[in-house]
Amino acid sequence: MIELESVSKTYTVGKENVHVLNDVSLTISQGEFVAIMGPSGSGKSTLMNIVGCLDKPSAGSYFLGGENVSGYKDAELARVRNQSIGFVFQQFHLLPRLSALKNVELPMIYAGIKKEERMERARKALEKVALADRMDHLPNALSGGQKQRVAIARAIVNSPKLILADEPTGALDTKTSTSIMELFRELNEEGTTLIVVTHEPEVAEYAERTILVRDGVVLHGDARARREKL
Amino acid sequence: MNVIENLRMALGSLMAHKMRSILTMLGIIIGVGAVIIVVAIGQGGEAMLKEQFSGAGNTVELLFQPPEEEMEANPNLLSQAPFKQEDIRALEGIQGVKKVVATSSEFSSARFREKTVDASVTGMNNGYLEVNGLKVKKGRNFSSSDFLSGRRVGLISHSAKEELFEGRSPVGEIIRIANQPVEVIGVLEKPSGLFAFGSVEVYLPSQTWRSVYGKSEYSQVALQADSADELKAVGEEAAKLLNNMHGTKESYQVINIEEITEGIGQVTRIMTMIIGSIAGISLFVGGIGVMNIMLVSVTERTREIGIRMALGATRGQVMTQFLIESITLTLVGGIIGIFSGWGIASLVSAFAGWPSLVSWQVVVGGLLFSMIIGIIFGLLPANKASKLDPIDSLRYE
Ligand SMILES: Nc1ncnc2c1ncn2[C@@H]1O[C@H](COP(=O)(O)OP(=O)(O)O)[C@@H](O)[C@H]1O
Ligand SMILES: [Mg+2]
Repeated sequence: MIELESVSKTYTVGKENVHVLNDVSLTISQGEFVAIMGPSGSGKSTLMNIVGCLDKPSAGSYFLGGENVSGYKDAELARVRNQSIGFVFQQFHLLPRLSALKNVELPMIYAGIKKEERMERARKALEKVALADRMDHLPNALSGGQKQRVAIARAIVNSPKLILADEPTGALDTKTSTSIMELFRELNEEGTTLIVVTHEPEVAEYAERTILVRDGVVLHGDARARREKL
Repeated sequence: MNVIENLRMALGSLMAHKMRSILTMLGIIIGVGAVIIVVAIGQGGEAMLKEQFSGAGNTVELLFQPPEEEMEANPNLLSQAPFKQEDIRALEGIQGVKKVVATSSEFSSARFREKTVDASVTGMNNGYLEVNGLKVKKGRNFSSSDFLSGRRVGLISHSAKEELFEGRSPVGEIIRIANQPVEVIGVLEKPSGLFAFGSVEVYLPSQTWRSVYGKSEYSQVALQADSADELKAVGEEAAKLLNNMHGTKESYQVINIEEITEGIGQVTRIMTMIIGSIAGISLFVGGIGVMNIMLVSVTERTREIGIRMALGATRGQVMTQFLIESITLTLVGGIIGIFSGWGIASLVSAFAGWPSLVSWQVVVGGLLFSMIIGIIFGLLPANKASKLDPIDSLRYE
């Protein structure tokens, strides 16, 4: 479902061009659970942002679900993010002034779903992440693990085909990390494609294959790597 | 995403910074409030003055005022009666004239038993009371037979009743006007309003007035037209007719009361404009304040904007969100301004005895205006928010 063909990303800092991604080709199929590992600054987040349609490649093309989204306009990309992709971040990125329920409601507001349906679906999503009793809490009143669960509920509420998690356990202790990864495993078993960036080998263990990124270059970017690992 | 959703979000974020929101609104509140006060008091005053000068109906007054040359040519002109019975009948025949109100007045003594006062005694025809907005409070009005037969009956003003009767009921009593007996059949309502003096007045049917004073002319004639639009044409037509009948050129003239009140309106309008422009400046300054706070808010909420974009908000939706937020800010300020302006205008009018008038047009205008300020001064911050890069925004601390 994800096909990157010779994707490069170059930033211009002052007069210098910084090549963050170099000729990256990558294929990920529907329903896969993939871990991305690599040293800090190697370009993992940049790769995730391109896959998540938050950023556009400087060169190369990106097909998501068979569509060439590298040519999409801003508004079309927003729609793809809203409908097809769920994001989970290391810093949770919840809106601090909104309750858990309201945070989970947000993607549905942008999808134009009616209030009653939003409430119902948000409740269901929070039940799924075992936070039924914390719906009206503000993010500040929640623990790190609970915040990340709210973020996961928010990521899945529009039933996206793809969930991208950039170091989702980076700010959590080991025990909490395990429960979050169990949740991801559950979602993957239900058919959602999952890509998780991580530094921790225990986290990468949950994935079916691991992609390595080093200095903007992707190693084992194709499905063959998976077969080798198995 | 609909407007209600946006409005909810906007109110939420304004409530999150209550103090800041209120301080920001202050410029708008003062500006809109000032506009409401000025317009309310201006319009109230204008309405009151108009009412007092023009009475109830669309009337023009005809004036006999011969110019210098005509008096030299005909020295007898002033000793003639200016308006005669046949003049009145001729005026009634003019197309578009609804009523001709002819009056004669004299200043003379009015006596009841031992008590004597000076009164202005007006002889008038049918229609005078109605056209001048006078109502009979006690007793009865003149009947048409009173006008036709010239019965010795009269109406007295509230002040005349107070001075002559001192609390007794005057209806049915006989008073003496210039030593002639007249039966009081009714008392008029006390006049209201700032400039209405309660003068001592006696009203008689024209016939009666003539037999009391032994004169047969009218001193004042006013015309009531079918409609306000015809007023000017009808007045000019009447003056021409009278000049023709009396062999004069410009001795008969028209005073258009509407024109006088128009002049008064002009004055209040100029006042309104001056103070209105001061209010406009304070609204402009208020608008700049809104823009400033919205820019601060966009910067503070950079991360929120990034999150919303990651969740699928389009640039248009982000723009709309901030635009609606600034409109909400100015609109709420406008609403508070309208109510406080209204309150202050009512207070002022209560103390000064000057009426205030808050018309729905002013309220709607105030609301629209504060919304427009919200749009104009919200555009720049909203545009800035929508142009943010989602990744940079997510990384913003
Ligand atoms: N907007 C940018 N402008 C310039 N350089 C950037 C920008 N974003 C990221 N980089 C650089 O790209 C490299 C990869 O960043 P990132 O993808 O965040 O790495 P990782 O997530 O693997 O730690 C880093 O060296 C970073 O400094
Ligand atoms: Mg990173």
